Amino acid sequence: MEQTVKLLAEQIQQARHENQTLQIVGGNSKVPLNDTAQVLSIQEHSGILSYEPAELVITARAGTRLQELQQVLAEKKQMLAFEPPEYGNSTIGGTYACALTGPARPFRGKLRDYVLGTKLLDGQGRALSFGGKMIKNVAGYDVSRMLAGSKGSMALVTELSLKVVPLVEEVTYRIEMPECEAIVLMNQLAGTSLPLSGAAYYGGYFYYRVMGAHPKQTNRVGVEAVDNQVWQTLNPFRPKLPPGQKLWRLDVESTTPCIDGTIAVGMCGSRRWVASEHKPEHPYVTLWDERFLPRHNDGLGVQKIKQGLKKVFDPYHVFQDL
Amino acid sequence: MQVVQALQQALPNTSVLTSEEACRPYECDALSAYREKPLAVVLPENIDQVKRVLQICKAHQTPVITRGSGTGLAGGALPLKEGIVLGLSKLNKILKIDPLQRIAVVEPGVRNIQVTQAVEPFGLYYAPDPSSQIACSIGGNVAENSGGVHCLKYGLTVHNVTSIRVLNMAGEEYVFDEKDDGIDLLALLNGSEGLLGVIVEIKLKLLPKPEAAQLVMAAFSCVKACAEAVTAVLQEGIIPAGLEMMDRFSIQAAEDFAKVGYPTDAQALLLCEVDGSHDQVQVDAQRVAEILTGQGAYQIRVSQNERERTALWQGRKNAFPAVGRYSPDYYCMDGTIPRSQLAYVLEEIAKLSQKYDLRVANVFHAGDGNLHPLILYDANQPGQLQRTEAFGCDILNLCVDVGGTITGEHGVGVEKLNSMCHQYQGDELEIFHGIKAVFDDTGLLNPGKAVPTLHRCAELGQMHVHKGQLPFAHLERF
Repeated sequence: MEQTVKLLAEQIQQARHENQTLQIVGGNSKVPLNDTAQVLSIQEHSGILSYEPAELVITARAGTRLQELQQVLAEKKQMLAFEPPEYGNSTIGGTYACALTGPARPFRGKLRDYVLGTKLLDGQGRALSFGGKMIKNVAGYDVSRMLAGSKGSMALVTELSLKVVPLVEEVTYRIEMPECEAIVLMNQLAGTSLPLSGAAYYGGYFYYRVMGAHPKQTNRVGVEAVDNQVWQTLNPFRPKLPPGQKLWRLDVESTTPCIDGTIAVGMCGSRRWVASEHKPEHPYVTLWDERFLPRHNDGLGVQKIKQGLKKVFDPYHVFQDL
Repeated sequence: MQVVQALQQALPNTSVLTSEEACRPYECDALSAYREKPLAVVLPENIDQVKRVLQICKAHQTPVITRGSGTGLAGGALPLKEGIVLGLSKLNKILKIDPLQRIAVVEPGVRNIQVTQAVEPFGLYYAPDPSSQIACSIGGNVAENSGGVHCLKYGLTVHNVTSIRVLNMAGEEYVFDEKDDGIDLLALLNGSEGLLGVIVEIKLKLLPKPEAAQLVMAAFSCVKACAEAVTAVLQEGIIPAGLEMMDRFSIQAAEDFAKVGYPTDAQALLLCEVDGSHDQVQVDAQRVAEILTGQGAYQIRVSQNERERTALWQGRKNAFPAVGRYSPDYYCMDGTIPRSQLAYVLEEIAKLSQKYDLRVANVFHAGDGNLHPLILYDANQPGQLQRTEAFGCDILNLCVDVGGTITGEHGVGVEKLNSMCHQYQGDELEIFHGIKAVFDDTGLLNPGKAVPTLHRCAELGQMHVHKGQLPFAHLERF
């Protein structure tokens, strides 16, 4: 076992004996610190462990900065397909824990789709390994993908193997049009052979991004080529809102008609950002104030399953709950 | 049997099979070396009936083995003597197609190919295409997290399912959706081999049909050069839609069977398909041909039309039955390895082939490192099945030892329980059993499959000392 992992395991075991609750912290760029929990930092546990461009796999310690990962990949003309948002100092471990995926999600898939394996410490400080470095692997339950989004509540993930993809050239186009028309159009385009990697509506424009060789777009009426900046604006999306207004993230079916208060449509229609004082009436709504609070809208049955799984990984309740 | 009576009372007559004859087709899945007659085979017609079956079995403490089309290759649907088989083939309706949203909602018994056929008029298709796609069911695909030749580019089943409805042993219903918050239970259920729940409805992602596709066939006089050529293609930033490699035995068998014009003097053959927009395909196909030539391919053929492309695939797609003609039985393995290890692994397999005195042909999903050695044997010759199993087990251990895995797409089932002991340690297995218990505290859903007991692994560990001639056959299969 690596020395830093050993130290982390010892901290977990000590917390267990002292009945302490641990909050796992990476770059401290996302989830705010909780006063009642002790910080377990993975900052020191960083670095790329192996990278075989031809195998399309990179393995890194959880504390590795996203920026470092992306730079190393770019040198070999590769990238993380899921376009994780950069909150400043973000680590791959924290990004995985929050399961954050950028605008290419409807086209290239989400973070967990690219997770091939993890090494982790469970609530007893045991070092466990799930999955591996293989693109295809169906031996045992897919724990590595399941824990994406667990926000440090189940185990301390120390190492991640991710599938990477070739860096592609992308061009962004936009058309000025009403939101409701844009929602239909983006869904229509996604059903054609145009190689899309982004489709959004923001500030009165429908934006779409195309990968690689593709038919000329700007000969169509109203279409103009623009730079790729809008995707950074939307990922992470941090609009300035008037006092009293809150930002809500809605996950909906991509063809859902316009929703009141929407200030941006992302993910080819399946994500709506709504600014409003009150919580919009929708099944999948999250208050998005950058505290990454869980939604807590599971039914009783699913709640019970999640509690049960928490006990499997963390029987002594060492890791902070969501 | 009380449980059978209860099932007969609860379901229509035609939905409960008990006679020897009626049950026979359900005695095994596509891993036909293992057979067992269940107490009964139950074929419910709707979800309410499935619920009742589960409740009755729970009340009678009767194991339930869920089955789709029975095309699984790892014995995942092998019945238990004291259990019932829950066949979902009558739940075969496509419930919804939304072309604008690009989704289809289907019942679990719908066959894989049916989805693509049904959405074709909209210019869409369902991407995962296991070789059994004309027969295998979507429910089974989810349970096994099935792959196919196109999964390097388009993903496995887990990447193409957005929501599922699942029943537990009490008949209670859960929905796991990609929009859910927190841990990813949808991902967990994919590939859970029927141990965590009964999947009764699936929402699938549909993709636009690629505008064009072209196949590049390349012949190599050395396996290593072929493997390196694959690496070169991927390093160039091209993700082929399909990237298949065959060894000499497979090439000859396939050509003999399908007569498609494969060069039978080649040591290795590569089939590389690129797809996408017309513009991109033209660029990519030419680039692939150049790369492969640069890597030493001595013969290159680029498909010029759809007919030629389909014809060139025919050999590869028929490789299993083609090889099967050389022997009464064959046993298909499913290890995955880093591509850099391919030449070494093939050499080692050749050595093992001599050691066990059994012939082997290799076909390889080269893009994602998934190797399918086909071991030829004759089940009627005493000892050959056992030798085949030991050979297979050695191959899987070899895969794990070079950093790979024992199963890329077929699942563990009953077949690879021993190999699971080689891949996972006790603590991980304990977690797996813990997960199972959370979803199924009765332990009645497909018991004994996919995850070996710690006891079994311990026994095997002792026996590994005498490696060489393991009498696997006498081991209790739990």
